[in-house]
Order: sequence, then C-alpha cells, then structure tokens
Amino acid sequence: MNEVLHTKDLLIGYNGQALMPEINVCLNEGDIVALAGPNGSGKTTLFKTLSSTLKPVGGEVSLFGKPLTDYSPTERSSLFSLVLTEKPDDLFLKVFDIVAAGRYPHLGLLARLRADDKKIIYDSLETVGISHLVDRNFVSLSDGEQQKVMIAKALVQDTPLIFMDEPAAFLDYPSKIELVNIMHKLSREKKKTILFSSHDLDLLLRHADVMWVVAPQQPLRLGTPKILVGQGIIDMYFKPIVAKEEFFWMN
Amino acid sequence: MTTDSITRQRTPIALISITIVAIGVVLFVLNLMLGSVSIPFEEFKEAVFGDATSTYHAIIFDYRLPQAITALLAGIGLSVSGLLMQTLFSNPLADPSLLGISSGSSLGVALVVLLAGGLGGVSVGTWALWSTFGVAMAAFAGAFLVLMLVLALSSRLRNMVSLILVGIMIAYIAGSVTDILKFFSQKEGLHSFVIWGMGSFSNVGKAQLPFFAATILIGIVGSFLLFKTLNLLLLGERYAENLGVNIRRSSMLIILVSGFLTAIITAFCGPIAFLGLAVPHIARFLFRSSDHKLLIPATAFIGMDLALFCNLIARLPSFEGNLPVNSVTALIGAPIVLWVIFHRQKVLK
Repeated sequence: MNEVLHTKDLLIGYNGQALMPEINVCLNEGDIVALAGPNGSGKTTLFKTLSSTLKPVGGEVSLFGKPLTDYSPTERSSLFSLVLTEKPDDLFLKVFDIVAAGRYPHLGLLARLRADDKKIIYDSLETVGISHLVDRNFVSLSDGEQQKVMIAKALVQDTPLIFMDEPAAFLDYPSKIELVNIMHKLSREKKKTILFSSHDLDLLLRHADVMWVVAPQQPLRLGTPKILVGQGIIDMYFKPIVAKEEFFWMN
Repeated sequence: MTTDSITRQRTPIALISITIVAIGVVLFVLNLMLGSVSIPFEEFKEAVFGDATSTYHAIIFDYRLPQAITALLAGIGLSVSGLLMQTLFSNPLADPSLLGISSGSSLGVALVVLLAGGLGGVSVGTWALWSTFGVAMAAFAGAFLVLMLVLALSSRLRNMVSLILVGIMIAYIAGSVTDILKFFSQKEGLHSFVIWGMGSFSNVGKAQLPFFAATILIGIVGSFLLFKTLNLLLLGERYAENLGVNIRRSSMLIILVSGFLTAIITAFCGPIAFLGLAVPHIARFLFRSSDHKLLIPATAFIGMDLALFCNLIARLPSFEGNLPVNSVTALIGAPIVLWVIFHRQKVLK
C-alpha cells in the first residue's frame, strides 16, 4: 500500500489553542475515509489544516513522505483537490468553465485547452453523470448537480488525493447514495484517495468503510462503523447532539 | 453517451464582436464629424484624405482626433479596471473608484489648484486652466499615493471586505480634506477644480497622447496576463488557492494594474463615473460568459463604444460642445445597468 498522507503528533486549533489531543493518522492509496463528528467538533478545522489553509498548532502533516509546508502552492495543486461547502456564485459561470478551471494547473500561460484536456473534462463530466449540463449556468443547477460539478472539477485537476468537506450536506437521499457510489467508483477505477467529512450519522453508519471520529477535547478515534458503534465511541462522541434533539422533540 | 457526442451550445461570439467593433468605428467617425461645427460627409472625406490646408483638417486632426482617441482609451481602461475590481472583490457594484484612488487624485488636484492659489495670492487658478498637464501630474501623484497606501495595507489584510472598507475610509479622508481645501480656496481655483471634476476627454493634447496611449496599453496587457488568476478567483478564494493561486500576491497585482489604469485616466480626464461599473455588466450579459479571456477584450471594446458615444452626446451641437462627460456617462450608464439587472434572470436557464 502506498502511503498518501500521514500526520505526526498533529495539533489543530486556532491562536495556539489545540482543539483536541495529538492526531496520528494516515491515508493510503485508494482509501475512502469519512471524517465524522457532530457540528462544531473540529472537522472543518482538521480539514483546513490537512489542506494547508490553516497552520497546525503543533506537529506536522506529510504528503507522500514530505512535509506539507515544503510544497509550493503550485506543487500542492497537483497533489490534492478540494470539494468545499462554499460554492461559486457568479451568475454567468458555466459548468464547463468551472470544470475547465480545475485543469488550469496543467495549462500554459494562455490556458489553451488541448484536445486531451477537453477529453479529460468531458470524461470527468461523464464519470459524475452531468454531461448534459455542460453549458448550463452553475447557479441554475440543483444542490446535487452543483456538488457533482465541483467533484468533476476535482477530477480534472487529476490529483491522487481529494478532500471533500461535507459533500452530502443539502443533498436529498438518492443524491447522497449517488455521491457514495461516485466516490467508490473513483477509488476503484482511478485509485483516488478520498477524505470526506460529514455529520450525517445515518449516511456514515450505512456507507462509510473507515471513519475518523472527532469531538472537542477527545482523542481522534478510527475504525469501521461497526467497531466504533460496538465500542460505544459513536454514542459517546455524538451524544451531545442526540440529547439536544431529544430535548427538542420533548417540547 | 460517448464524449464526442456532447454537443455544446455557443453564443455567437464572432457576430457580437464584429457588431461591437463596427459600432465603434461608426462612433469614432461620428466623433470626428460632429461637434459645435458639424462637418458634412463630403468635406470630411476631402479634409481627411485630401486637402490638408482646409479649416476642417485642423479641427479634425488637432482637436477632435486626439479627443476621440482619448475617449476611446479612457473607456477601455476604466471598463477593464472595473472588471478587475468586480472579480477581485466578487462584488457586482465594485468599480475603479472603490479603493479611493479617484478621491486621491481629486485631493492631488485640490492641493495644487486650490492651495497654490490661496498661498500665492496670485491667480494660480488661471495658470491651472492652461496647464492641464500640471493638473494631471497632481492628480496622478494623489492617486499614486493612495494606491501605494492601499497596496501596503492589502498586504496586511487577508479579508477582501476589510480591504473595501479601507478603500472607502481613504476615500472619505481624501474627500473631506478636499472639501476643507475648497472652503479656504479662491474663486478661480475652485472654478478650475470643479471643471476638472466634471470630466473631459479634451485635456490630452497631441503631445501627451502617445504617453497616455502607451500607459493604457501597458495596463490592458497587464490585465490580460492576469486572466487565469481572475478566472480562478471566480470559484472563490479557497478553490483558487487550491488551484495554485497565491491570493495575497495576486490581489496586490490586480489592485496595482486596476489602480494604475484608474490613476492615469483620472489624472488626465477627471473622475469619470459609471463606465467602470456599467461596462463589465454589459459585456457579461452580451456574451453570456464569465471567462476573462473573452471578457477582458469584450469589456475593452464595449467600453470604447460607450465612451465614444458619451463623448459624442456631450459635444452635440445644441450643447455648444461643453456638456460635462460625467453627467452623460451616469445618465447613459445607470439605465443600462438597471436594464441588465432586470433582464439577467432570463439568462439563468
């Protein structure tokens, strides 16, 4: 197994304050790992630290055996791609333009798309099943379709590692299943390594292979959903939310 | 479905482009023909291609040609500058004046025209009327200082909204100092300051035109070199960063290019309102696109058309050639923006 990412005594947080104890995890080629935790548990903080948006409070993130900080922004753009919760909101931005932008790190000064670049763009649109939307304005699409556009953008960027921040949020159930299927297809056919975050317990328990579970001031725990449930970790880490919801229904 | 069978819809880019350029050529010729003295077409032809000694020849080549070229260049520069600002701040209301650069040039002009008049006790105002180049230099100095200040501050601020606020505050400070100077100034100085503030394309003489044209050209080439970064910024800062954009360095470059264009044009033509705000919207709407590779040239040519049109209106015979350009640009620009806003919902399908 080829190692893609590992962390060494990583401390995440803001202003020198660590959110949770040291994190030592690793991702191998083709892994699909779910970063799970209730809202406000530090998922996004860990995400931003792994994708070099945030500096770690302590410790180190390594990609392909080299510290993240040793890579230039251009080098990083060919190592990992992002699918984020924030979406482009420009009114005239076309699906094709967004996906083509993912190809920019591979293009020259004039960003001229060669025939093989176009093929990669069309292939990626087809992989996620939105070929028919190529000339639509991005803002006119549904949440599920927009999510697929951003995944297609990540695909044409052609990076071994893809980070997806809450990709299932705002999706209806069929779209969630479709998303999970797309992720498995990418891992199986294209050997992509995917780390996605979610607070959707239902989705995680049914469809995640491996989970990293986080909560404030708790050590990160990892395992299959079955093992984590068996150990009572899910119960403990997600408890505060469940309790609040029960309280809400009782009223 | 194979990838070859994906059919793409196309906006008729070539057709729209040719129309825009053709309109520009017609407006350019009309700018040379019409004015306080209207030149009939036959005599216009003769003055341009034949008789170099006719009075019309002098009117066309010494007065109207430099003015038309200035209008065209200013229209191009301000519009592209506005496009850069709108993309950088992802704000459809952004325009070249957003960062306080025009206010800076106003302050520069105020300092020279008003304060010099007050201190010297002589009628420096009259001096300023003929020395348009001196006024331009003062305006450029003011704009340049503000630009440097904004650049220095932008390297400390990560947040674009903070940067807009900084620009607005600088504009307020420059504006209030200008007002204080106005309060203490003499009539003549005040008069030439007000004239400068109305905007005019007739201040760039034949001698300064090559310099003016060269600087605008540099700015436009600079803008075009930034088109990849601008396209990536449309996706949002984090996506852009992930695609290799150094956000801080890129925003400084965009501010530098946009501010440089604004500074030069404001220095020579006064603070021209609305072109920079309106034209990028027209370009996006006409071409149904956000791709800066297309938008930068499109914005440039539409800006050229609109500036030539505004100059033509401002100089219509019935206005005796002296309507302030600024009131014309706003009068024409604002309804266009309104029209675009109300029609763009249709585009979204």
